[in-house]
Amino acid sequence: MASSANSNPVPKLYRSVIEDVINEVRELFLDEGVDEQVLMELKTLWENKLMQSKAVEGFHTEEQAALQAAAQQQAQQSQQVTQQTQSQQVLLPQQQQVTNWQSTRPNVTSAPQQQVIVQDPKILQHMSATGMSAAATAATLALPTGVSPYQQLITSQGNVSQNVYLKTADGQILQVVRAANGAQYIIQPQQQMVLQQQVLPQMQPGGVQAPVIQQVRPITQVLTPLQGGLPQQTGVIIQPQQIVLTGNKVQQNTQVMQMAGQAGQMQQVQQVQQVQQAQGGAAPGAPQQQQAQQMTQPQPPMMLQVDGAGDTSSDEDEEEEEEEYDEDEDEDKDKDGGEDGQVEEEPLNSEDDVSDEEDQELFDTENVVVCQYDKIHRSKNKWKFHLKDGIMNLNGRDYVFSKAVGDAEW
Amino acid sequence: MAYQLYRNTTLGNSLQESLDELIQITPQLALQVLLQFDKAINTALANRVRNRVNFKGSLNTYRFCDNVWTFVLNDVEFREVTDLVKVDKVKIVACDGKNTGNTAE
Repeated sequence: MASSANSNPVPKLYRSVIEDVINEVRELFLDEGVDEQVLMELKTLWENKLMQSKAVEGFHTEEQAALQAAAQQQAQQSQQVTQQTQSQQVLLPQQQQVTNWQSTRPNVTSAPQQQVIVQDPKILQHMSATGMSAAATAATLALPTGVSPYQQLITSQGNVSQNVYLKTADGQILQVVRAANGAQYIIQPQQQMVLQQQVLPQMQPGGVQAPVIQQVRPITQVLTPLQGGLPQQTGVIIQPQQIVLTGNKVQQNTQVMQMAGQAGQMQQVQQVQQVQQAQGGAAPGAPQQQQAQQMTQPQPPMMLQVDGAGDTSSDEDEEEEEEEYDEDEDEDKDKDGGEDGQVEEEPLNSEDDVSDEEDQELFDTENVVVCQYDKIHRSKNKWKFHLKDGIMNLNGRDYVFSKAVGDAEW
Repeated sequence: MAYQLYRNTTLGNSLQESLDELIQITPQLALQVLLQFDKAINTALANRVRNRVNFKGSLNTYRFCDNVWTFVLNDVEFREVTDLVKVDKVKIVACDGKNTGNTAE
């Protein structure tokens, strides 16, 4: 504590405030007849939210330090159901606060392993419930909306090399291990190996068999245990689609086939991916999915994809622009950049407005200072501020001051 | 009565959210908790914090209503002995700092 001059006073201050409030409020709780347990829960929630906000640095309690240590130990162990329920209880507030899957990404990638474990079983239970409750085609149709956010979540998880534990609807705990080549395997007894291998010869896209065979295996491993009793249906699901997709361009889609065992068009690939995800909900090869989607984009635009590299609308617009302006003088041709700018400027006149949004800052937070004023002085357009006892939130972080002096020109 | 000014801070908002989440806490009890929080934070800021900050920038808007100053500044630098923080826009809300501590609701 000797070098406390440079240390951040905020965590200590917040902690002391929390302690004071909780202690003062204990009597109130007892008077109301509310259990002490609720008080502890309030304190825990309060501290957790402070930690999550990242507005305060170094905000750890002994409880949370122990909890993190215990959670890490449990994460290293394999296949324990209890850890999930416990971690779910602890981390539920985090999930409750998150309404958009996309926003979970930074939390997922930077969080300790326990968070990944918690979110997976929830997703998996949800997905497996939807996948197993319908026939193959119905499941395929029912999935699109529910799958895409999960894909994104998978994507985020795929970027992080962690031991991912999946919990099926049966209550089985599966461990997903990422191999060096990026394919993910689920440690489970293998079934349907024969089924998949029988399908393969039918595909024969041409020179791509070997990688396909090798990489279909993880899929079977993934699919089989997670289906929990519908092996035949999965065979039915995959086979016809594989046959249909035979003959399409495959060479670029070896990685796609890793996921689906199939080549070609985006829809079918997506459908298969969705089917697999419905049945398995596994997180196999998130980068593979990304690559798959990226690989299939350059294909001839026979499908409905309207975004990404396969976008042809810009070409059409450019053609139209050129046609319109070719009637004018040659100078317009030289101003291709300007033409595009002029065409784009019309709808963008709103830029004339002065109002700036939060894009100025990296964070969404509006920087706020709450304080008390001692004296506010003005001379012409020169203002002087004498403030005290303030809490500031700047760039997402919290600061405090006992006195603040400022100058500004209006 | 202490200022309820500090309820819209990280600390205050997280407390309010936590109170909202726990259904065993009645609204009246939650209000009592918040009042206690107001007292605690006011006391803590007055007694436990001892540092000074300087800032300068350009004033965009100012408002004085009900003895509360609200400023919006642009391109501000907050300078402390240890470090410097720059923001493009900041809102400052300041209640009267006189010792009598008027009730601001």
